[in-house]
Amino acid sequence: MLPLFTVAISFLGALVVGLTPPCRTRTIRWTALLAALIGLATAGLAVLQYEIHPGGIQSMLSLPWIPSLGIQFKTGVDGISLVLMVLTGLIAVCGVLFSWDISHRTNEFFAFFLALIGGVYGVFLSLDLVLLFVFYEIAIVPKYFLIAIWGSTRREYAAMKLVLYSFTSSAVVLLGLLALYFGTDLHTFDWTRLAADAHYAASFQIIVFPVVFLGFAVLAGMWPFHTWAPTGHVAAPTAASMLLAGVVMKLGAYGCLRVAIGLLPLGAQYWATWIAWIAVINIVYGALVALVQTDFKFVIGYSSVSHMGFVLLGLATLTAQGLAGSVLQMFSHGVIGALLFALVGGSIYRRTHTRQLGDFDRLIERMPAIAWLFIAAGLASMGMPGFSGFVAELHVLIGAWAQPAFSTGILIATGAGILATFAYTLAKIHEAFFRRSAVPDNPEHPRPEHYPSLTWPETTAIVILLAAAVGAGLFPRPLIALINTGLAPLLNSLAAGAPSP
Amino acid sequence: MNTPTLLIALLPELAVLLSVFAALGIDYGLLRHESVDRRNHTASLIAGSGLLAGLALVVVQIFWFSPLSLGENQIVLNSLTLGAKAMIFGLAYIVVLLSERQSNGTHVSEYYALLLLSALGAGFLACTDNLLLLFVALELMSLSLYALTAFDKSSSASAEAALKYLVFGSVSSAFLLFGLGYFYGATHTLNLQEAFITIARFTEPSPLLGIGVLLILVGLGFKMAMAPFHFWAPDVYQHAPAPIAGWIASGSKVAAFLVLVKILRPLSASPESAGLWTGSLAFGAALSLVIGNFGALRQNNLKRLLAYSSIGHAGYMLTGVLGGMIIGVPAVLFYVALYAAANLGAFGVIHIVCGRSGSDIQSVAGCWKRKPGLALLLGIYFLSLAGIPPLAGFVGKFYLFFAAIGGHPHIAHWYQGYYWLVGLGLLFSAVSLYYYLRVLKACFVSDPPENPTPVEVRTPEWIALTLLGLLILAGGLFPEPAIEFLRFSWGG
Repeated sequence: MLPLFTVAISFLGALVVGLTPPCRTRTIRWTALLAALIGLATAGLAVLQYEIHPGGIQSMLSLPWIPSLGIQFKTGVDGISLVLMVLTGLIAVCGVLFSWDISHRTNEFFAFFLALIGGVYGVFLSLDLVLLFVFYEIAIVPKYFLIAIWGSTRREYAAMKLVLYSFTSSAVVLLGLLALYFGTDLHTFDWTRLAADAHYAASFQIIVFPVVFLGFAVLAGMWPFHTWAPTGHVAAPTAASMLLAGVVMKLGAYGCLRVAIGLLPLGAQYWATWIAWIAVINIVYGALVALVQTDFKFVIGYSSVSHMGFVLLGLATLTAQGLAGSVLQMFSHGVIGALLFALVGGSIYRRTHTRQLGDFDRLIERMPAIAWLFIAAGLASMGMPGFSGFVAELHVLIGAWAQPAFSTGILIATGAGILATFAYTLAKIHEAFFRRSAVPDNPEHPRPEHYPSLTWPETTAIVILLAAAVGAGLFPRPLIALINTGLAPLLNSLAAGAPSP
Repeated sequence: MNTPTLLIALLPELAVLLSVFAALGIDYGLLRHESVDRRNHTASLIAGSGLLAGLALVVVQIFWFSPLSLGENQIVLNSLTLGAKAMIFGLAYIVVLLSERQSNGTHVSEYYALLLLSALGAGFLACTDNLLLLFVALELMSLSLYALTAFDKSSSASAEAALKYLVFGSVSSAFLLFGLGYFYGATHTLNLQEAFITIARFTEPSPLLGIGVLLILVGLGFKMAMAPFHFWAPDVYQHAPAPIAGWIASGSKVAAFLVLVKILRPLSASPESAGLWTGSLAFGAALSLVIGNFGALRQNNLKRLLAYSSIGHAGYMLTGVLGGMIIGVPAVLFYVALYAAANLGAFGVIHIVCGRSGSDIQSVAGCWKRKPGLALLLGIYFLSLAGIPPLAGFVGKFYLFFAAIGGHPHIAHWYQGYYWLVGLGLLFSAVSLYYYLRVLKACFVSDPPENPTPVEVRTPEWIALTLLGLLILAGGLFPEPAIEFLRFSWGG
């Protein structure tokens, strides 16, 4: 029951905030923050309440919803969903803090924001395929309005593109879900029952797996269906980019892991090499494109695509380390990606009113605190030891080494991708903070000597996110323990070559 | 068949019919010299109370009647047919409410009389299993609709649309009648329940029946706005008065699909007879999906956009029909009901917001600022049409697709069963989101025009539209009772 409270409080918060008159900005902000904080606290409590031995799915709640179609309202948590719920809570709180200065239609902004959060929590909690799908789609509409109303750069185009990608991919998912229902005689969409008793034939799994996986992977930013991500991230207002990069892309990866690999392990084994190659393209291509971007936010957008490649690669390994690394990377990129978007789209843009790297003139002198924070975040994203990204990518790489089916080419290409990541991170840090601008100072609006310093909501949010990245980097053990309990049944079934119990 | 039973069975119709005469008589008798506004108000009051009385009587019948069949199924009253009739009367009542703000020149009471007659036709065809009565009821509805389409006297386009509607409509009726004639020739009965038994006994498929079915599909395809018989829909929807367009999109759609499933039921008696129509219906469904959804992409007129979307929706519903009579039809009935609610609501909001200023997408621009409540309702209707959870449109579409696959779950090749059609439908529901979102973008994102005309909503309109919105919300969150009811009452 307790984990479900996160969904309830988010939707309730959305309702309350939406009904508050827009002139009462303070009330709205604090209510939204309160709702996000309660969500985070609930997620934290759920982690504490979770008993790591015996593991498995706990806090299960099952109510009949549409029994004539085999649909239940069934929720529960395991190690993986708990990790992602905590991530969602963190991003939600920081997102609200970074939206502190929203003054245009404030109540609606926070209402959409919290509704999106509620949908995301719901996906991580659902144990019924249709319920999961419902929450997955509930998250779509708020995204559109968040970007179309409060966005920047070609916002209406980007919003529509993002929504159409999401909706088309979810249509593919739905087709896959119907196939999963009718592929067995259980007459249920209940994930736990399907995982335990469905025993899909290998030929069926090989046909249906790519449908389901592809549907979810679009939202995870899989090449060549990633193009919604950079445009969407860039156009979105700061808090929405944080959410998109931080958790929404994880919805897709979570779906791939839970539904596609979890229910169709034989299909996953059949297609693993293909997915690995696509993941490698993601890593290398994302990094190379990031290298040539001139808009700072696009750099971060493409770096997200690159980092999601590690998530996909981890999934494709189908080994204990690789899958754990994949989930860890979801958490890590969630935190670090959100932090980067917060700094670039929020803190820096608010002060410079431009995101063009060519216009930045030695920001290290003009905003030293922000610059150093960004450098720290950039190093974290690069995979510096001590930050969460290092642990996650290391696990993924070990997993990839351990997978005998992968050719050396995959590993070499991944190595090249990591080098490209170094290259763009360092190059962009240089361009943004240490380089003199070639554009002469505008005499009417000269660049200030010192930009205003960070406000308290910004500082708080940055500290939270950085602490999460460092914490997970230095003490990854509790996270890994949680993730491993969640993965255990799946790994058993992968080893047995049968659906997971 | 004794007269008292017949009288009681037809009491709802009688109430509505009385109010038709009352509206006409009082309008042209007593109020002849009064102002048009007063006459309009009175006529709509009479028409509305007649429908409400009819609705109440139907509800009473639902609770007090055991299933009843009169005169060899000429009148069949059970929970399904009565429920359908109640739905139709309810929708018609909302149309009456919405019509009050419309000026019909001096022909005040004719408008309401025609509207009520078409509701009578639609309501009666829900309750009969006799081919001849089915046809007569369908024509009563259609003829009234042709006339109603022309009621926008200030616009010659309205008259043109009505003429198109009439010409296409009568040709399609001829097809339908021709088809029904063949059907009778093959089965020797007008009673659809008897026809079921006759067709089940056929040892080999009858070619006569095959031609008849094809002709029937042409005729009904027109009524349902199924491609390739959809050409009338965009013009009629655009130029008919908005409440009438809403009525065509809701009440007449419900009626057309009821007729379709009634006629297809005996034709599903054996696999051979089902083979007569599944192929062409699947073709029609696929074509409707393609034409409707692609056509809607480039429309800038809201009513025309909804016309194309209704063609697309016909495609979804036909997909459900292909799921077969046992699984498919309850899904279709569920969908058509909530589709009618969402569509009527959408036309209602458009009618209120746009008024007489045309119905360009831009006329709802900034609606959230001018009337937040209406904007919210419009959002619910359109998102439900797009199939976004947790609204009823999602459950409805899910149920349709579920049924279409569920009818033939085990396939050896991709082209068998209806996985391909469901896949197509799903892809096009993603396409459809584009144009629905365009409207919502104008409504929620754009700023209102300079000096917008103030939008006034009367209390009954608020109540009616909110009721539709709540219906859609409830149908999405708690669909089980409705699904259970439909499955039970259709299955018998």
